[in-house]
Amino acid sequence: MRFLFLLTAALLIGCGSNGGPDPELAGLRVYHHSADGAPTSLDPAQSATAYANLVVINAYDTLYSYKYLARPYELKPNLAAAMPEISDDGLVYTVQLKPGTRFIDDPAFPDGKGREVVASDVVYSILRHFDPTVRPQGAWLWQGRVAGLEEWKAAGSDYDRPPDGLRAVDRYTLDIRLEAPYPQLLYTLAMGYSAVVPREAVDYYGREFGLRPVGSGPFRVTSYDTARIVLEPNRNWRWRPVDLAEEGYDPDTQAFTGIAAIDGQTPPFVDRLMISFITDSAARWNSFTKGNEIQYAGVPVELVDRVLASKNPVRLAPKYEARYQVVSDIEAGFVYSAFNMADEDFGYHPDPEQQARNRVLRCAMIRGFDWRRRNDSFYFDLGVVFPGVIPPVVPEFDPDLSLDSVTRDVAGAKRMLAEAGWTADNLPTMTYGSVGGVRSRQFYEQFRAWMMEIGYPREKIVLKQFATFGDLNKQWRESRLPLISAGWGLDYPDAENTLQLFYGPNGAPGSNSSNYNNPEYDVLYEQAAVLLPSPERTRIYRRMNQMLIDDCVAVTGLSRTRIAVWHREVLMYPSANIVGGFFLPFVALAGDNGILERAEPARLTLN
Amino acid sequence: MELLQYSLRKIATGIPLVIGVTLISFLLMVYFGPDKTYELVGKNPTAEQIAEVRAELGYDQPVAVRYLDYLRELVTLDLGFSDSTGERVSAILARTIPISAAVALPGFILGNLFGVLLGLFAAFYRGVWPDKFIMAAAAIGMSISFLIVIIAFQILLSSSYGLNLFPVRGWDVHSIGDYVLYVTVPTLATVFVALGYNTRFYRSVIVEETTRDYVRTARAFGMPAGPLYYKLILKNCMIPIITRIMFSIPFVVISGSLLIESYFGIPGVGKVTYDAIVTGDQPILKAVVALTAVLLVAVQLLTDIMYRWVDPRVALK
Amino acid sequence: MSTVAEELPAAGADDAGSASLWSKGLYKFRRDRTGMWSLAVVLAYVVIAAGVWLGFWATGWADLAGGKWEPVSAQHWFGTNIIGQDIFDRAIYSTKTSFEVGLVVAVLATVIGAVLGAVAGFFSGSWLDEVILWLMGVLDSIPFLLFVAAIAYTLQGNPYSMHIAMIVTFWITAGRLVRGEVIKLKEMEYVEAGHALGLPEFTIIFRHILPNTSHILLVQATITFVAAIKSEVILSFLGLGVKDGMSWGLMISESSQEVLAGFFNNFLAASALLFGLVMAFNLFSDALQDALDPRTVSES
Repeated sequence: MRFLFLLTAALLIGCGSNGGPDPELAGLRVYHHSADGAPTSLDPAQSATAYANLVVINAYDTLYSYKYLARPYELKPNLAAAMPEISDDGLVYTVQLKPGTRFIDDPAFPDGKGREVVASDVVYSILRHFDPTVRPQGAWLWQGRVAGLEEWKAAGSDYDRPPDGLRAVDRYTLDIRLEAPYPQLLYTLAMGYSAVVPREAVDYYGREFGLRPVGSGPFRVTSYDTARIVLEPNRNWRWRPVDLAEEGYDPDTQAFTGIAAIDGQTPPFVDRLMISFITDSAARWNSFTKGNEIQYAGVPVELVDRVLASKNPVRLAPKYEARYQVVSDIEAGFVYSAFNMADEDFGYHPDPEQQARNRVLRCAMIRGFDWRRRNDSFYFDLGVVFPGVIPPVVPEFDPDLSLDSVTRDVAGAKRMLAEAGWTADNLPTMTYGSVGGVRSRQFYEQFRAWMMEIGYPREKIVLKQFATFGDLNKQWRESRLPLISAGWGLDYPDAENTLQLFYGPNGAPGSNSSNYNNPEYDVLYEQAAVLLPSPERTRIYRRMNQMLIDDCVAVTGLSRTRIAVWHREVLMYPSANIVGGFFLPFVALAGDNGILERAEPARLTLN
Repeated sequence: MELLQYSLRKIATGIPLVIGVTLISFLLMVYFGPDKTYELVGKNPTAEQIAEVRAELGYDQPVAVRYLDYLRELVTLDLGFSDSTGERVSAILARTIPISAAVALPGFILGNLFGVLLGLFAAFYRGVWPDKFIMAAAAIGMSISFLIVIIAFQILLSSSYGLNLFPVRGWDVHSIGDYVLYVTVPTLATVFVALGYNTRFYRSVIVEETTRDYVRTARAFGMPAGPLYYKLILKNCMIPIITRIMFSIPFVVISGSLLIESYFGIPGVGKVTYDAIVTGDQPILKAVVALTAVLLVAVQLLTDIMYRWVDPRVALK
Repeated sequence: MSTVAEELPAAGADDAGSASLWSKGLYKFRRDRTGMWSLAVVLAYVVIAAGVWLGFWATGWADLAGGKWEPVSAQHWFGTNIIGQDIFDRAIYSTKTSFEVGLVVAVLATVIGAVLGAVAGFFSGSWLDEVILWLMGVLDSIPFLLFVAAIAYTLQGNPYSMHIAMIVTFWITAGRLVRGEVIKLKEMEYVEAGHALGLPEFTIIFRHILPNTSHILLVQATITFVAAIKSEVILSFLGLGVKDGMSWGLMISESSQEVLAGFFNNFLAASALLFGLVMAFNLFSDALQDALDPRTVSES
């Protein structure tokens, strides 16, 4: 009854629309981007999501960034003057900063003028991850790696006495001292987590710092809410002419975008950058096709067959081809379901015989899982299914690995169960944890139906819904659920980032929520962790991967392919993955409103 | 003076209500409520870091301390900061409540206005076909789920399968034109759903009134039906009408039309509240619940005063 | 008239007025064509739900019976959904879920409302009444959806959290009605007679007063039933509703992602069945109310 009131009633006072008239956009070069989720905070120390990262690395400077077009992904100096000098033992990194970079003007600074970015700002920004009052999320990147951080934190996080491992030697020189070689360190310096913030602004804005970015990046934020962010180019940034060859331009695969036109020209090519955060894919598509709203979107799964003329290679249907560009981009990450090995019903068991039977059960469930159909139902049949946890996007991926573990075999699964003595009566109940929402429920129902087909009784695959992702995550971290169905986004293009998900010492509440604990695996992990990329390291990675497959630890995996479309007058090669927001400073517009020629539709023929 | 005394007394009796609402919702939403810790920890946390985050959020404090803190925050109007974005809760409310009001207002006014008019009309023709027709339509309206109405209106008005006249969702309002564009579909859906209930309610109120003696007397004295209805009967029905309208207000002002806003992606207070639910943003939940309770007490007071204004016979007692 | 009266269940009341209310009510209801038709429709739904419960039909609601989004065919009367489940089976199966939700909530909310309302009414003015009134006021003041959400968290993962939340909110209306009625009834002669005879208060309330509010409770229960199945749809859409099994609300929320892409089967199947049941129950409830209204009974 009361709900009725809720629906019918309204306030009789204080009516008013939101804000004033639309800013005068005429004559301005505007690029309107979109994302399928909104950041919760723009504080680099809390930029855990891809959405936050997208904005953070544009509003702030990072020491390194990814090259715009190079595939596989490559780093280049950003705020740093050059790639770092690394000592022979791999333990000391010395980074020089480019002088003359300034924070944007902001009331947080004494005279309202942005001051120069110096090495101690970088130290301060990383140390914030070890200060609990910041509520930081990136400490795991440096913890136990950079010397002295734990001690610094234990001593009360005094920013005026930085630890030995992280020192500003002079105004522009930064020294990072490691406890053991950490080849992935450079990647962490290209992440939003390490973006450089001024201490004045953090102190000035306090808890609201996450809403008021004060950075030295290529853009400055002019307005921000959960629906949209508006940025303007930071004219004082160190813009320089684009050298496409240096950015890794590959004419064979990238010419169709028309970005060749920006070669040698100096950005910024836009006067305003807007990013709308639209969770609902249909609404996002609607806004995209309107013509005067967002210029970049993903294709909703329900519409793929109408929008695309072919999936491989990806081509738009004629109706759309004249107006839009399309690219399919395999994600840097994958979806998988890991068993919780600490659960005696499915994982390790004190009784070795039972443990062996549990392994058979896991293997049978893996064989009962239908990746082909999962791919067809939810990922346009465009996802890449692969065995193990080394996804196709990293260089260590092995295309020749046997596909048995990702190929459905109902008869085989039933046989395995029967041989190990599993029957409908003695199969353990599988509690499937999930958040609310249509898609998660469909995943569950599909999983349940497949398990029913290999002989699982319906009432033994039980859904347990959690209202928030945090609550579900809590259950995983506390090892209370037998199956962890998750997606993992790579933080950097190195398989170490996924293999650590099964490293024993990372067990719950750490990132190894499957609690896989294999001494042999751990030894290999430790060996590989200090190695620079090399065939030897790749061999170790692949051995570890094979162990995970043989032990039937996880139902894995699938890397999703994202279909990105954008308006033809926008000249860019967008990436939702590792490069993330680093492409935004290069975006240019063709046509009346742009400085460049429009991309020729004829160039579209792409293979 | 009498009014002031009365108001103070009324406010005093409202205190147990506010305490009850805050206590129950505190226990449910905060103490047993969603846990934000695991949204805030990094990808590979240690037990120690988890404990730090819990301490930061104040989860390690005893219940009583946390509840008293909550009351103190309310009394001092210091609602704190969102756990998700770090934005001031008061700023969030100041930003979102006007949007919710702007979204809900047209539907609210039209739904009640048409409800009263149709109720009057039906009561006037009580028992004959216009009445039966209106009541049948109201029964149908009441039987369609709000969600179905929203989806159906969206298909019919905002998609390429229908007229495709309005935006599917969102709230990008910078001018009156934008406002009309974005508010139309939510308003139509709200009116459609509310009309059935409102018409029935107002009709029964009016019919009840027509059976009273003064109406017979007026009729006997030859008063024409039209003026009789809108001058006498409608005026005497004002008390239930006002009650219904007034008591709806706090729920819209504070919790908003949660369904409309989350479906249409309108960044009003309802959506913010819903998002706070699904992310466990307790400072926002605490503020929304407490303000609803306080507003309800205020509305009760105002309603009583309005009764007196409408009908001086009602003593302030 | 007398034959009608004989068929009536004993109302358990001490005065003859109650029995005649029921017998006249039944007589009146039988002559109400809309009421009888709506009752027939409701009964048809009951048969469907019972069949599901007994496993006669819609047993394949969880199977992947076909491909993705298959159109309507002889095999799949309403087509299939995104993962290939038969929409017709799921819509039929959901009838059972709706009755489960409706009955559980309506019965328990009415019982709780009756007991607390009667106690509050009988002891009106005492501290007990004050406490119950306070509780009603408090629960009424918490926004419904927030309250349901809060209960859903508190009972993390409990499949009945939605039912409990609805019961805790919906008993209030019944409670208020019964309280008002009991305040009137307790002044009646037979109650005073009961006091004079030294009957325990408990007996007076539950044996002698409460049965005389049963017509109110019955009508209120039907209204609560409708409110419950309608709320289920909204709550399931918001992810706070049915946890296990299938319901119209879940189907409609699934469809909300599909309709803009032109797949209407989930939406139409669930909406049509839901509308039919709610409409029939609303009309049934109205007819019942008319039939049991003492004023209209005495008029006729």
